[in-house]
Amino acid sequence: MAKRRAKKKVKMNASDVVFHFCNYLFFGIFTLLCFFPFYYLFINTISNNDLVRVGAIKFFPQGIHFDNYVSVKNVKELGGAVVVTVARTLIGTGLMVIASAFIGYLVTKKEMWGRKFWYRFMIITMYFNAGLIPWYLTMSMLNLTGNFWGYVIPGIVAPYNIILVKTYIESIPAELEESALMDGASYLTVFRKIIWPLSKPILATIAIFGAVGHWNSFTDSMILMSSKPNLYTLQHILYNYLNKASSLQAAMDGGSVNTAALQASVLSGKTIKYTIAMVSIIPILCVYPFMTRYFEKGIMLGAVKG
Amino acid sequence: MERTSKSRITDRLYIVLRLVTVLTIVCMFVPSINPARVSKLVSKTMSFFTSATSYSGLAEGFARATTKGWAQESTVRIIFGSSLIAFIGIAVIALATCFSVGELKFKRLGLILSTAASVVSGISMFGLVIAYQQLQGSSKPAKVEPMFHSGFFIFLGLILIILVLNIILFCLLPKPEKNEKYYMESKYKLFLMFMPFVVMIFVFSYLPLWGWRYAFFDYKAGGTLSMDTFVGFKWFKYLFNNQATRLDIVRVLRNTLVMSGLGIATSWVAMAFAIFINEMGSSRVRRIVQTLTTIPNFISWVLVYAVALAIFSSDGFVSSIFSPAGDGATGTNYLLSGSFTWLKMLAWGMWKGTGWGAIIYIAAISGIDQQLYEAAKVDGAGRFQRMWHITVPGLMPTYCVLLLLSIAGILTNGLDQYLVFKNANNMSTIEVLDLYVFQLGINKGIIPLSTVIGMVKSLVSVILLFSANRISKAVRGESIV
Repeated sequence: MAKRRAKKKVKMNASDVVFHFCNYLFFGIFTLLCFFPFYYLFINTISNNDLVRVGAIKFFPQGIHFDNYVSVKNVKELGGAVVVTVARTLIGTGLMVIASAFIGYLVTKKEMWGRKFWYRFMIITMYFNAGLIPWYLTMSMLNLTGNFWGYVIPGIVAPYNIILVKTYIESIPAELEESALMDGASYLTVFRKIIWPLSKPILATIAIFGAVGHWNSFTDSMILMSSKPNLYTLQHILYNYLNKASSLQAAMDGGSVNTAALQASVLSGKTIKYTIAMVSIIPILCVYPFMTRYFEKGIMLGAVKG
Repeated sequence: MERTSKSRITDRLYIVLRLVTVLTIVCMFVPSINPARVSKLVSKTMSFFTSATSYSGLAEGFARATTKGWAQESTVRIIFGSSLIAFIGIAVIALATCFSVGELKFKRLGLILSTAASVVSGISMFGLVIAYQQLQGSSKPAKVEPMFHSGFFIFLGLILIILVLNIILFCLLPKPEKNEKYYMESKYKLFLMFMPFVVMIFVFSYLPLWGWRYAFFDYKAGGTLSMDTFVGFKWFKYLFNNQATRLDIVRVLRNTLVMSGLGIATSWVAMAFAIFINEMGSSRVRRIVQTLTTIPNFISWVLVYAVALAIFSSDGFVSSIFSPAGDGATGTNYLLSGSFTWLKMLAWGMWKGTGWGAIIYIAAISGIDQQLYEAAKVDGAGRFQRMWHITVPGLMPTYCVLLLLSIAGILTNGLDQYLVFKNANNMSTIEVLDLYVFQLGINKGIIPLSTVIGMVKSLVSVILLFSANRISKAVRGESIV
């Protein structure tokens, strides 16, 4: 190994050096572009608010304090939104994972009545949809508008995740299951005792995808819950905050509103906006390092068609 | 001989029973035959199902009447309670009918359950009669407008049919032997376990197709469909004949196609990204780069917008760098400008998606045979030659699949990105088809027209997808869907 590396070093000629320099430089810049905005948001939430207000915090935090994260709980609606978002993420993801595992198992059973038909019946829904409005009208017919379950129930059957689980289950040696069935175990027992534990890696993958999706979604909140502000998700609240500030900003730029009080309210809104944004980014950033390996697994399996 | 003809009759009757059960369930969701609508105060849009599950929906309609004393709150409770019991009864009937795919003991259990449930829900229907009578005895009948709905008889009839069928079937079925066990063929057992999900798939993916009928009516939000409002292809014609709408559509289509086109034209970037990342010597650096560049993919578009504000708004990072005073008040809000919207949206899309899009190619690269590289090296191929002649061809199949899929999805840009970045200045260039439908249908409430547009879009997308699939089959011998 050491020998090979030494050999490699020797072989580095001028053009290689230039190539690697440019390559590392490019990726360095791109990585910075991806990462810096989050860093910038973060240092602006922990720095002295007066400095933040005048835009003095550029690269390094100054006057570090965490008061913003304490005072953000005074923002009304936010507490409820956090509860709703956490609840939908936990419940929605949990039900989706259980359903995907179970359906993934069922569709591998060749003896099921009409298996091929029902499988296609499910998969084909990935490729068409009736459109936003008919979907909305259906949801309202089912009493799922202005109702917490409107977030959860439509997402329980997720065909793409089911394909992933099915592909994975097919790779589990069939003998395991067959011998259990021979010994008189029921399908449910086999699922609980064999399939579920063995397919945990793929279930973790889809759980992460599902949780990120639930955490991030806001259009369903806008469309379905417009009459129920107490059911807004965190992202929806943030969106409203950002929008309120930017429409004020636009009015100010246009010169129609020019009172000092309004300007001040927009500017002090800055730290609040940033803090709310950070509050909704931090959970993702926290679990992120643990989930990278699952993403790759998921995407590789996704490349293998179901 | 007699035995077989008897079993044939039971089989047929079972088919009838299942059909009637399904029909009853469907009827629960049709607002126009809601038997719980015993007064005009119950909203026209409520179905029997919504009456049984949403007390607040019922109470809302009666709110004024109960506070004024025209109607008692207990009446509302009776309506809700009897709807709920009837609903639970019908649910039990549905469950019991599922047992009919089992063997004798299951069949009998199903029939007993179903009989009991139909009796219960039939009786509870009469709670609605009581509620109706209470309303009639109200101090101001003109205000509460009690009415007796034909839906009541439909449901009662259906439940009676189920009851009668159950009793007939119960008489026809032979008695089970003493030590017979509950048994069901495993193919049916598996199907029954799958069935709840089939119902969900049907409800959330197929049932909305039924909503396409709104395209043929003059429908206003909150109203109902009736033959008087049937307008045929009026809205389809409107799409082309109305000058303003036509211009809108042309503009929106242009935005959609340009933005999708830009996305497709830059789709190779993720591949290049993967190829070059793979050339980096240090695997630890590679890991870090990969991890950090995929972060943007996992935050929502709202958060992207928050980030964009932090960097580009008048009090953001860029302004604070360029403005001499360093205070926010003099900065420019770059997000408000309406120029170069397409390119900006492309840039945000790439910022969010490139790192993530590269992962699939990185995975594909690791699948390329290393011996090819060794052999090429021995033959004196340079770095770029190896990339171009080995890595790129190795990634082509993956690239083609993704490219075809993105061509098939050319009309679908998604809603989120454009929704968060839109403002008064860039509206004319940012409005894509999805956003247009959203604005038209949800914000302005013009339901038929937005349904028409969504419908045409869905149909075109499906056609495109199947064409792409055809092409893929013809060229690569493999289908993509």
